[in-house]
Amino acid sequence: DSHIQYERVGADVTMKCGSMDWDAAVTWTANGTDIDESHLNGSYLILKNVELSQSGQYSCYEGSSWHLKYQTYLRVGTPPKEPVLMCRSNNYPKGFYCSWHLPTPTYIPNSFNISVIHGTKDMVCEKDAVPKNRCHIRYLQLFSTVKYKVTLTVTNALGKNFTTLTFDEFAIVKPDPPESVVAKPVPNNPRRLEVSWQNPSSWPDPESFPLKFFLRYRPLILDQWQHVELSDGTSHTITDAYAGKEYIIQVAAKDNDIGTWSDWSVAVHATPWTEEPKHLTTEAQITETTSASTSSFMAPPTTKICDKGAMVGSGAMAVCWTAGLVVAAYSVLFI
Amino acid sequence: MAAAESPSSALRRRDLCSRGIRLAGKMRADVVDLLDAYVEQQGLDASASVAAVEGVPVAAVERWDEQTGTQRLLENLAAYRAFRALLAQMLEEQREQLGEADAGLGRALAALLLQVSAFAYHLEELLRLESRGIPGEEGDGPPPPPRLSLFEQKLRGLGVLRELAQWAVRSVRDLRQLAKPSPATGAAPGLAESP
Repeated sequence: DSHIQYERVGADVTMKCGSMDWDAAVTWTANGTDIDESHLNGSYLILKNVELSQSGQYSCYEGSSWHLKYQTYLRVGTPPKEPVLMCRSNNYPKGFYCSWHLPTPTYIPNSFNISVIHGTKDMVCEKDAVPKNRCHIRYLQLFSTVKYKVTLTVTNALGKNFTTLTFDEFAIVKPDPPESVVAKPVPNNPRRLEVSWQNPSSWPDPESFPLKFFLRYRPLILDQWQHVELSDGTSHTITDAYAGKEYIIQVAAKDNDIGTWSDWSVAVHATPWTEEPKHLTTEAQITETTSASTSSFMAPPTTKICDKGAMVGSGAMAVCWTAGLVVAAYSVLFI
Repeated sequence: MAAAESPSSALRRRDLCSRGIRLAGKMRADVVDLLDAYVEQQGLDASASVAAVEGVPVAAVERWDEQTGTQRLLENLAAYRAFRALLAQMLEEQREQLGEADAGLGRALAALLLQVSAFAYHLEELLRLESRGIPGEEGDGPPPPPRLSLFEQKLRGLGVLRELAQWAVRSVRDLRQLAKPSPATGAAPGLAESP
């Protein structure tokens, strides 16, 4: 008869050859390969300190006739450690879901059982088809101060373990991140970026349960984020972007009144509008190329000190009035 | 069949709802702060479960989304009137227990009592706007509860503040529902119905 035998990693395993006597002549195989006689004690197979790699099919044959006398499938594994359980409401006020996993694999099949109690009432957590380790519950009551208690028990052939989570209705509310985040330059505005997004589609009633948003943005070349909190609306115009620099932008959402912030949305990139470079003479092009390669950061337009109309001279020696006055003032000081 | 709401009534209702939402939001923030201080100063365990106490209006509700506007207003009004009496009682117990020793907690309770009274009045205004009769307060109120021990008073106080915090959130949600225009008549959903 073939059956499955579960053993813990590190255990010593003794396999009997069915009803054969201890002193019968037998041959054992593992996955079709003969096992050396040193592992035998009479007709018993002894596996000391079993490892995961020793999982497989073990067969015992009578010595002379090679009749199959016994067969088993050895599965080496571990009893379950305390499972990791998480419950969250991303579709408030409809309900919440709980999902779980084991911190380390057991290498053998596990079964999970979840119970949800609200006060004295047992609630049914309906298992999701996909993913398998998740179930969802509909709220029967709203605004309750009575906590929910969720207990997850995991069982396998080598043992069981469990964990319990206790929480109140508001604490687990966490929307999914905003969707369809779009960032666009604003024509003729070198310091602006227009950002828009949508409520997460999983949030069932944004009109009655409005979300507020947190926007963060930074130029790729800097590490520090700027933050803006927005209590309504699904768009915002950034007005202090550095001209010509590519930005990374993300948005998070939270119910206006309860719960915690969502994870950050997918990041979007955008660069503010810049003016198209005018057609230049050959000499000016060389000057432009030289100066561009040495400058690593272009100051925002507000810091510009020269207008084109205030230039004196031409070509590489062109000097603007303002700069000329400053130079003249310093010259006077040092005479 | 109820008449359609006039534009000025609709505007007034929306205005009252907006202000009510702000009031309730502020009230909730203050209750949450007061809860922290109360738990600490009364030497209670913040995670202690408090069984439902008689006379404390429970915010928990089934089928909340199916309630009519009138139901929402009436339930809110009944709750805040009850909280008004409960907070007044807590304030008096506080003064008896501690005298001037805990003036901060006393002042916070008094401020909250004012907000609850103001919100109850706000709800009455909304009911008047809907030409609904305002239910009278029950005579001299319910008979005074039996005298509780000091510890029982503290636990009841915890229960009162916790339920008030839940009610403040529920009220914001209720007022948002009320502020929504009805697609057909322009009236708030549920408010155009007969009692």
